[in-house]
Amino acid sequence: METLAFQGVVGLSMAMYLWLISAGLTIIFGVLGVINFAHGSLFMLGAYLAFTFYGLLGWNFWLAILLSLAGTAVVGWAMERFFLRYLYGVDEAYQLLLTFGFILILDDAVKMIWGGVFRIPDIPAFLEGHWSVFGRPFPVYNAFIIAAGIVVGIVLWLGFERTWWGRTVRATASDREMANAIGVNVPRVFSGVFMLGAMLAALGGALGTPVRVVSPGLGAAMIIQAFVITVIGGLGNLKGAFVGSLIVGVLSAYGTLLFPVFELALIYLIMAVVLLVRPQGLFAR
Amino acid sequence: MKRCASVVGVFLLVVFVAFVAPGPALAACQLGVPVVKVGAQGAASGAHADYGRQINMGASMAVEEINAKGGILGCKVELKFMDEELKPATAVKNTRYLVTEWGAHYLVGVDSSGSSMAIGPVLPELKRPYFFTHAATHRLTEELVAEKGIKEIVRVSVPVYQDGILAALIFKDMPDIKRWANIGADYEYGYTSWNLFKETLKKYRPDVEFVAAAWAPFHTLDFSAHISAVMAAKPDAIFSTPWAGEAVMLLRQAQIQGVFDQIKLWWQAMGGSVDVLEGIAPAVIGDKFKGKLWATARYIHNWPDSAENKAFVERFQKRWSRLPNYSAETTYSAVMIGKAAIEKAKSLDSAKIVDALKGMQINTPAGLRVFRAEDHQFVYNVPAGRVVMDPKYPIPVLGELRVMPVKDYYRWPPFTPVAATK
Repeated sequence: METLAFQGVVGLSMAMYLWLISAGLTIIFGVLGVINFAHGSLFMLGAYLAFTFYGLLGWNFWLAILLSLAGTAVVGWAMERFFLRYLYGVDEAYQLLLTFGFILILDDAVKMIWGGVFRIPDIPAFLEGHWSVFGRPFPVYNAFIIAAGIVVGIVLWLGFERTWWGRTVRATASDREMANAIGVNVPRVFSGVFMLGAMLAALGGALGTPVRVVSPGLGAAMIIQAFVITVIGGLGNLKGAFVGSLIVGVLSAYGTLLFPVFELALIYLIMAVVLLVRPQGLFAR
Repeated sequence: MKRCASVVGVFLLVVFVAFVAPGPALAACQLGVPVVKVGAQGAASGAHADYGRQINMGASMAVEEINAKGGILGCKVELKFMDEELKPATAVKNTRYLVTEWGAHYLVGVDSSGSSMAIGPVLPELKRPYFFTHAATHRLTEELVAEKGIKEIVRVSVPVYQDGILAALIFKDMPDIKRWANIGADYEYGYTSWNLFKETLKKYRPDVEFVAAAWAPFHTLDFSAHISAVMAAKPDAIFSTPWAGEAVMLLRQAQIQGVFDQIKLWWQAMGGSVDVLEGIAPAVIGDKFKGKLWATARYIHNWPDSAENKAFVERFQKRWSRLPNYSAETTYSAVMIGKAAIEKAKSLDSAKIVDALKGMQINTPAGLRVFRAEDHQFVYNVPAGRVVMDPKYPIPVLGELRVMPVKDYYRWPPFTPVAATK
């Protein structure tokens, strides 16, 4: 019993990385109507930037994360402003092609800029060590990730539900022409939302710096999981992305413990079942 | 006058480039080709990218040294390296491209066992010898060569005998380690290593139990669930096969889950690889693994203690500013073995090159390599040891080396099948 409970908590910490990346993906789809295939590459970029500031230059951990978010937001802004913006009116296949192109560009860019051997930098001293959870040692760092994921969830919910900006975004999402007619600057909302999504992806990547190795090709691996999660939760639905992340993170942890032989197939199995029973996703309207 | 000087300068430059720069390679090529072409491939992307880089560095250095000494039978040697991406389909595509389009005369490299098993069967059709330098599944040589007779396959690196059997022979003598758990690479290499380990250890130690196994595929970023899953079975020791950057990550994540307080020993099969040692250096210096980490590799730079090896390490460091990883040494040696075979055969014909390998015993940085005719495996010895710091090196090395005779830890023909499944 304690084994199951502990595995669940471990799964929860893994789910939070998934939540950060799928939150951005689903927000961008919900508002802009674009499936950003390069979202995983923004995750990778965030990880590389944080690694550079924290791991290579040895700067403060929080500062490194902030700079990584800022840097990725700028790249995200440029992607939306100079490329995606010209494709909103045309067939979705073109957006997929464009964002897929960004995966290749960003992969090669990080190879050219960073292509060396990586160390994992030390964990910041205040997050080192482990606590006893269900009688077993649980890393403080994983607890920190769980807390960070929950805080981001609350901030996003408050931001969308309780602020003027959030209302504007929701209005734009439900009818961009009407929003435009009542004086919302739609292109600016789109830019802002894309940057927010990019920052969420970067946060997911940056928070992993002291425990994960970043490498080119990471983007393509991440986007598949994030995509599965948003499909399970309902494309464009934030609550769905959160619940989808929990389902995938926790169940794959249980899969590793209980069915190690076919754990890999598990998340696709879940997606298949959801698509059969509720093709629009668990939380879609 | 000024103009005249510059004309003379250009003339001298042309003379230099055309006649002086190629140096000894001026001697006529006796093989009837403009250049001898060596095709190489390895993993050059993802967390395993350093292996491809090291394959490329080892092969490049060998080619540079060969050319500096007049080439192969007077022929200049050229190298082309490609990324196999750890994908069998890509590896086969690369092999076909290197032979049919680019014109490779012999091939070296490949990191993934899966890739090697896909390349093997297309070689008879391409008619080129392939010197494998990292892919470790025993089936490549035992099944594809000894059983199916694909003569173009040759392996210069030691297979999973190193990861599984050698480990079992060392740890059988540790009576207080009774419960083993596995965190395995989720593909052929991980399965065969663990199966060979279990099979061998069980023979000597019927009291040992194999209590848990978790499998992690390529591109796993978070091993937390694998670690907690096997630790739930309260093992005495962990047998672990993820490699390269994934090994570094796995060890960090195990360390923060307090694993090294709970176990007696951790076997990181390919932990003796230079990129892993570089990655875990701060943790070893900080004694985070509490001296419980053991590893081996397919060559380690601090063994054997021979003049040839020392000179190789020195040249490599001078050329690349890094210590040579095993994939660098095995590929360097493979290019040299190809050269020796071509010189003996006096031909670029695949069958004649492979024939020339029979009875070959060749000195390489890793020591004497002896060609085994039954399965085309080069036999040589690599020890295992505890991961420790050594004041002579900037990164950890393997210490307290255990050297086992190759007759004990290699498998020998006739081969009995070993399962290549989970």
